[in-house]
Amino acid sequence: MSTQTTPGTEPAADSGSTAAEVAGRGESLPGKVLRILLTQRIALLVLLLATVLITMSQLSANNYLSAPYSTSYLAATLINAVPLVMLGLAELLVITSGRGGIDLSVGAIVSLTGMVFGFAYGEWGWSLPAALVLAVVFGGLCGAVNGGLIAYLGFPALITTLATYYGFSSLALVVNDQRPINSQPVQDLYSTASAVSLPFLPDAFPRIPLGVFTFLIPTALVVWLVLARTTYGRRLYAIGTNDVAAEWTGINVARTRFTAYVAAGAISGLVAVVTVAQFASARPDSGVAGNGMALPAITIAVLGGVAITGGIGRVAGVVLATLLIVWLNAGILLAVPGNAGSQLQLFALGVVLIFAALLNGFSNRRYGGTS
Amino acid sequence: MSSSILTPAGRPDGEPAAVAPQDGGRQRLLPSPVTGQEMVLIVVIALLWLALSLATPAFFTSGSIVPLLVGMTPIALIGVGMTIVIITGGIDVSVGSIVMVCSVIVAQTMVGSGLPLPLAVLLAVAIGGVLGLVNGVLIAYGRVHAIIITFGTLNLFRFIGLQVFGSSTVEGIPRTLNFFGRGEAGRTLGIPHSFVIMLVIAALAWWYLRHTAGGRHFYAIGGDSQAARLAGISVRTRVLMAYVVTGLLAGLASCFVLAQGTSSLAANVGSGLELAVIAAVVIGGTSIIGGRGSVLGTVLGALLVQTVATGVTQLGWRSQLSDLFVGLFILIAVGADLIRQRTRRAS
Amino acid sequence: MTTPQPSTPSTDRARPARLSVSGVSKRFGAVRAIRHADMAVQPGTVHALVGENGAGKSTLIKILSGAETADAGTITFDGAPVSITSTHDAMALGIATVYQEPQLFAELTVSENVFTGRELTRGGRVDWAAQNAKVVELLDLLGLPARYATATVGGLSIAEQQQVSIAKALAGDAKVLILDEPSAILTDREVEVLFSVVRRLTAAGVSIIYISHRLDELFVIADEVTVMRDGQTIGTHPIADLDVRQIVELMVGGILDDARPDRAVPPGDPRLELRGLGLAGQFHDVDVSIRPGEIVALYGLIGSGVAEIGATVYGMARATAGTILVDGEPVRPRSPREAKDLGIALLPANRKEQGLFSFQPISFNISAGHLPLLSRLRVWVDRRREREVARSMISRLSVKTPHERQAVSALSGGNAQKVVLARQLVDRPRVLVLAEPTQGVDVGAKEEIHRIITQLADEGTAVLIVTSDLAEAIRIADRLQVVRAGTTTTEFGPGATQVDVLAAAAGAEDEQEVTA
Repeated sequence: MSTQTTPGTEPAADSGSTAAEVAGRGESLPGKVLRILLTQRIALLVLLLATVLITMSQLSANNYLSAPYSTSYLAATLINAVPLVMLGLAELLVITSGRGGIDLSVGAIVSLTGMVFGFAYGEWGWSLPAALVLAVVFGGLCGAVNGGLIAYLGFPALITTLATYYGFSSLALVVNDQRPINSQPVQDLYSTASAVSLPFLPDAFPRIPLGVFTFLIPTALVVWLVLARTTYGRRLYAIGTNDVAAEWTGINVARTRFTAYVAAGAISGLVAVVTVAQFASARPDSGVAGNGMALPAITIAVLGGVAITGGIGRVAGVVLATLLIVWLNAGILLAVPGNAGSQLQLFALGVVLIFAALLNGFSNRRYGGTS
Repeated sequence: MSSSILTPAGRPDGEPAAVAPQDGGRQRLLPSPVTGQEMVLIVVIALLWLALSLATPAFFTSGSIVPLLVGMTPIALIGVGMTIVIITGGIDVSVGSIVMVCSVIVAQTMVGSGLPLPLAVLLAVAIGGVLGLVNGVLIAYGRVHAIIITFGTLNLFRFIGLQVFGSSTVEGIPRTLNFFGRGEAGRTLGIPHSFVIMLVIAALAWWYLRHTAGGRHFYAIGGDSQAARLAGISVRTRVLMAYVVTGLLAGLASCFVLAQGTSSLAANVGSGLELAVIAAVVIGGTSIIGGRGSVLGTVLGALLVQTVATGVTQLGWRSQLSDLFVGLFILIAVGADLIRQRTRRAS
Repeated sequence: MTTPQPSTPSTDRARPARLSVSGVSKRFGAVRAIRHADMAVQPGTVHALVGENGAGKSTLIKILSGAETADAGTITFDGAPVSITSTHDAMALGIATVYQEPQLFAELTVSENVFTGRELTRGGRVDWAAQNAKVVELLDLLGLPARYATATVGGLSIAEQQQVSIAKALAGDAKVLILDEPSAILTDREVEVLFSVVRRLTAAGVSIIYISHRLDELFVIADEVTVMRDGQTIGTHPIADLDVRQIVELMVGGILDDARPDRAVPPGDPRLELRGLGLAGQFHDVDVSIRPGEIVALYGLIGSGVAEIGATVYGMARATAGTILVDGEPVRPRSPREAKDLGIALLPANRKEQGLFSFQPISFNISAGHLPLLSRLRVWVDRRREREVARSMISRLSVKTPHERQAVSALSGGNAQKVVLARQLVDRPRVLVLAEPTQGVDVGAKEEIHRIITQLADEGTAVLIVTSDLAEAIRIADRLQVVRAGTTTTEFGPGATQVDVLAAAAGAEDEQEVTA
């Protein structure tokens, strides 16, 4: 492209101070609070989450809800958070890698890997650990297809993952002739999705679904460690922030971006196992039925403060955004029982996403801010 | 004419050189109306049709071709709008939800009050336009990337649709819309009405995009919106318009979708349609980065996708395989675009 | 010195100037890009605007074209005061600007590009025939074949695209045409064509503001010349009153900042050698040799290929001819990673695009280039050492910031540049290439950056400075080589004066005259 937005050869001398610096000086307390809420996504999410919990508890206490909005109820709904957080983290990785990074195919990878896992564990009699490893590796391979095309060949992520979405979901349907796999071993997996009470804690403590401990927390912890503590995390943020500068700095941009897509695929592979356990069946359309899993995952990531332009995003944001959505939905289901309630969840998801996106745009303009 | 610096090696996909041959002393005023990718598509579709009619005698019968042509109309029609949106550098993933809202409202109104055909179409188009306007305003004025906004409105519109649906499917839809269907009522001289309507609209859009100042401005915005603004183009208005047009066409397409269905309508109507439409647009050669594309390519892309779906079924293969082919076609189309860009940059 | 007195302002002329500027100033934050500018452009003349990089030419052009608004001063057009607050205002007055980087739509045809936003229509339809007829006329004027009218711009060469930009400017009935370094990217033959176009335009009454670093060509094309220095216009002279040497003297001023502290470079074998290095289409036969502890500057105008030499040494481009030797061993770095493994570091020319991770902290920006070094087992970032390194760099380079967690986007240009420089210094490089090390940096930071570079050389690093800032090159380099037309030409020792070097770089023909 021969176009450039700032013509001329001598760059204008940089200004001595920036908007952020100016904004920091001599502002009133309410102004400061507003700035923190607008620029620090974590703070905003915590505030929103607290608002939801308090409002719903009030409604519950005054018997406006069809069932109590209790801690045990909230704990039970966490089962919905497991795939959402994990795929949200997968999107966090690829979106943070920059250059329009996104993965529309995560749901299709869940479907296809679920079938592969179903075969291995339910039909071929593999042990659970072996089948689990297979699922992660296979998911990673699917991600490698995306990553290879995007990072090494320069395909646009949106369209590439749209294409692989079609490919993977088609294969998932074809591989067992549209039939689910629900042999006995697969059905027995359901128990792993059930809620458990924690040892060493009083019985009053709510029972939390096992998947939270076996999948959600380990994945979140690993992704957090990778992003915040490892050299890979630094490289990922670097290429997402400015991949030209990263190249000049000597970072292997293509390999770093490729790895992000592989990781997203591997996480999707894990989600496949979770989903099979949750349904006690490997369903060929588990990840793409209805709106699929990709759209909610992207929504969660954006709501959690992941910048669609890359380079910005934190694990805590994704986790908090998921809790907000899951517990808001849980409240809506009690407040508006039945079908209307589940429909209202879509509304909440849409409104919250657009609100968050517009807010991002606004706070960037106002504060030149970041996360 | 001897080959010049202007016919560089940068057209691997056989796209005719940008400079028209000056045979007969008369210079062409515009680049060729059919791009290389479109030529390739035409050839591929022709070969597929040939192969299919040889493989299954049932293919080249009206019982097979008419459903194929009618079946592609919603995708092609929305694809016209989506082409404009993508040319401006945007995207609209909410079209499936728009189709859902429009079709359910129209269906219920018809069940309730026996709406006549013209009013039904008008209602669908009007609702589609309003929803498109919502997208357009948020994208043009919110300065947030289109994909985020339309992911949001996808959910919002679906919510509206489900609210209208109530808890059950819509049953007993009158046959008012059969004029657009694949049955006898939907054909004149054997040619399906919906296909003709789609062709007329696509031709108008093609002409508008190619020959009017307003049409060319969409390309300029997609090429470099900043430069377009400096050139005095009202970027916001244009962007807004692209989404409204897409909404209007999605509204009309919902009538076609209704006409193709049975007398009942399920809540999953339109789901996944956005991806099929984007696939048709991309296969048609419209660049996802913006600035280049054509409605003709989109119509051909939709035809190819539908041909593959029909072919896969008629060959007795698993119907789900057609999605795999769609995915492959997308990758080939994008790959061809990338090679084209690279060789041009290198020359 | 025989510097002539500036010609008197246009008050004694019979008709008012086409475009005149008086007392214009412009400030970007703490930097005064223009302190005071006066200039009067007469109708139908070519008015050259010259000055060193950073003298304020570009800012003045941006003010005239409406891309920036002046803080103070008046602009008059045909004698009437006007206010230019947007590019629209400028275009409405008939002021058209052709930037070095063409602002075109690659996917549209030449004819469409010329008319974007002001299409000729007939009955709602673009009148392609009328547009093409007009464009063919313009192309003819520019010496381009008529068939280019329907070519897509993306398929044209950069030089051709620039001519399309000129056509675009002319189609709007420009009264004043600003050409920003139009010749920098053109071949000699293309420059000839450009000049004939310029002459035709001036004959038709169009005024041209012509910016160029190639001073020799001003004597061919310009009528008057205004010189800028340090954000001020020094004066306007008829070109006939001056020669290259006098213009250079006006540009650099009487200030003798050429003095530099004596450095003794220890004798020894070269650390970095370039032998007949070439990159197809960019530069050829480049010979450079740098000993440890030595600072060598490659000075060249923009477009001379000087920038690409640095990038090639760093592995961003692969040489198509010649060899690079480090400590006598031939090397072929294929990527910056390989170059870094050879001990070569590079400070990129474009700080914002190639250097900064803008919204990330200072420590992140420094450690990004040395993650294996600042880690345990190359996997875990050693955050304590990262912090320590960042802090020590901040104090060593006197980066003005409250703490190392500050985002670099909040720093001034000079401080941000120090951060990017710090990144190159963490793992003391054997060879340091600095591309435009002080561009867009204020004077104080410039001093400090020079001090750091010298200090680094004293510690034994071989330093190659690739720059278009002559004063800087002379000031800190032990030796200076001029790059002209894609190859290294004259070499100067420590005693070089700006005038000599600039004359050598600006035009080979004038070299005789200057050295005589």
